[in-house]
Amino acid sequence: MDRALDVRQFYLAHERSIIGAGTLIAALAIWELVARAGLIDPLFIAAPSRIARAGYTLMATGEIWPDLRVSGSEFLLGYVLAAIVGIPIGLATGWYRRLSFLLGPFVDTLNAVPRLTLMPLIVIWFGIGIWSKVVVVFLGAVIPILIACHSGVRTNEARFIKVARSFGASQLKIFSSIILPGTVPFIFTGLKYGAGRALLGVVVGELYAATAGIGHMIGEAGNTFQTDVMFFGILLFTATGLLTVGLLNLCERRFETWRPKVGAAA
Amino acid sequence: MTVSAVIGREGRPTPRLKQFYFAHERALLGTLVIVLFLIFWEGAERGWWADALRPFIGPAADRLRVKPIFISSPSRILSAAYRMFFVTGEIWTDLKWSALQYALGLLLAIAVGVPLGLAAGWYRRLSYAVEPFLAGLNATPQVAFLPLIIVWVGTGLAAKVLIIFLLAVLPMAISAQSAVRTTDVRLMTMAKSCSATEWHVFKTVILPSATPYLLAGLRLAIGRGMIGIVVGEIFGSANGIGAMINQAGSRFQTDRVFVGVLVLVAAGLMLSELVRRIESRVETWRPLL
Repeated sequence: MDRALDVRQFYLAHERSIIGAGTLIAALAIWELVARAGLIDPLFIAAPSRIARAGYTLMATGEIWPDLRVSGSEFLLGYVLAAIVGIPIGLATGWYRRLSFLLGPFVDTLNAVPRLTLMPLIVIWFGIGIWSKVVVVFLGAVIPILIACHSGVRTNEARFIKVARSFGASQLKIFSSIILPGTVPFIFTGLKYGAGRALLGVVVGELYAATAGIGHMIGEAGNTFQTDVMFFGILLFTATGLLTVGLLNLCERRFETWRPKVGAAA
Repeated sequence: MTVSAVIGREGRPTPRLKQFYFAHERALLGTLVIVLFLIFWEGAERGWWADALRPFIGPAADRLRVKPIFISSPSRILSAAYRMFFVTGEIWTDLKWSALQYALGLLLAIAVGVPLGLAAGWYRRLSYAVEPFLAGLNATPQVAFLPLIIVWVGTGLAAKVLIIFLLAVLPMAISAQSAVRTTDVRLMTMAKSCSATEWHVFKTVILPSATPYLLAGLRLAIGRGMIGIVVGEIFGSANGIGAMINQAGSRFQTDRVFVGVLVLVAAGLMLSELVRRIESRVETWRPLL
């Protein structure tokens, strides 16, 4: 085999990751060079190496752990609460028509409101501590989760339900063996969408009024022109977002092993 | 469902009233809960429930009277809105200012997001190159860039336009990319075998079939941009609906906060309706399935 051909084949097989990683590295290199050459004031754009060093210092001195703990608990408490409340209510409104008539107006109204605008009110209600952030995270995440579960139940295969009914299956049986498995992809879509909303809630809540947290850290760094710390904080949020969606994808794959693959996934 | 509802179990026709109820169940129940909710809210602030329960539970009832700074009340919100719109007219300047920021941010997002997304959908290699950036930006709550943006451009108009742009550009770019990806392959093959140029294919096949996706992306972007109006004005700003909401919040003027929120909701609904109108106008050529 020709060696050049080998390299070419390898490239073609992995083109996507090679080009992706290549551009990323090139962008970082240009960024570093521009910053080092002093073309742009370091006040405006910190070089990647400085961001990494700032991150390392924050971790090594342990300065960042209290902020991480606060933001982490806000995110987890609000998000888990949203899932605990949103999934059952969404499933219930999808299943019971009258319940959806009763709750529908409230869900639609809340969905139309950018919930982050309620932040000033939430601070009046819950103070500037961790609970106002938990509430804003919860409000951000619960609506997409609820709506996804609701529409998941509504779009279930009517044929399956008819078959089950004509074989005399109980409501509970229909729900647990047809509705719930059919709704799983929707639940995960809602959870993924909700995760983004929840992170947004953490950031906005902490920028608006807080005494600790990564969002607060970014805001403070902005006031003191520590661009490297700001970038590191933003990267922490990016990493959290990617991690959450990755974990949810893993879970989803586990639940979805029984489903025959269609289209691009086949 | 409808048959059993109208005919009733014993086979006798159901009374008129019941029929009317079943025909409009959704609207009736919906209106009922909303009205009940508003009455409950008004009563909590005016102390109706506290007064009604005092004979039974004594002074503990006073806890049911909620101070107006916490929840305000529908009537207070209405009168505050009336004052702000028609008596002092102070809200119009805020509205104008926010509308300007929003329009600029959204236009910038469309101008950047649509070509970028279309190009990333059309050129495979370009999509490989921009994917890591789009995925990373998508996973980040874009509002986290706000302090950085303020260091870059200050707290003026530019900061708000930029944050609205950042929030709105991703849905535009991503939907434009998937629009190109989902173009009917048969149409493309057809055009190519008739030796159409790339530009021609793009103009006559890709663009028309991409329009619904672009409009769907626009609808998402409208919602995301609304967040920017409020969040962009967290850090000191004198004009704009978001600044008004924030100031009212820090002065405990809860009724004004609600007025601001409701104005944003109304604006969002109007814009969505506008997009829906455009959608049905643009889509008239498409055969109904």
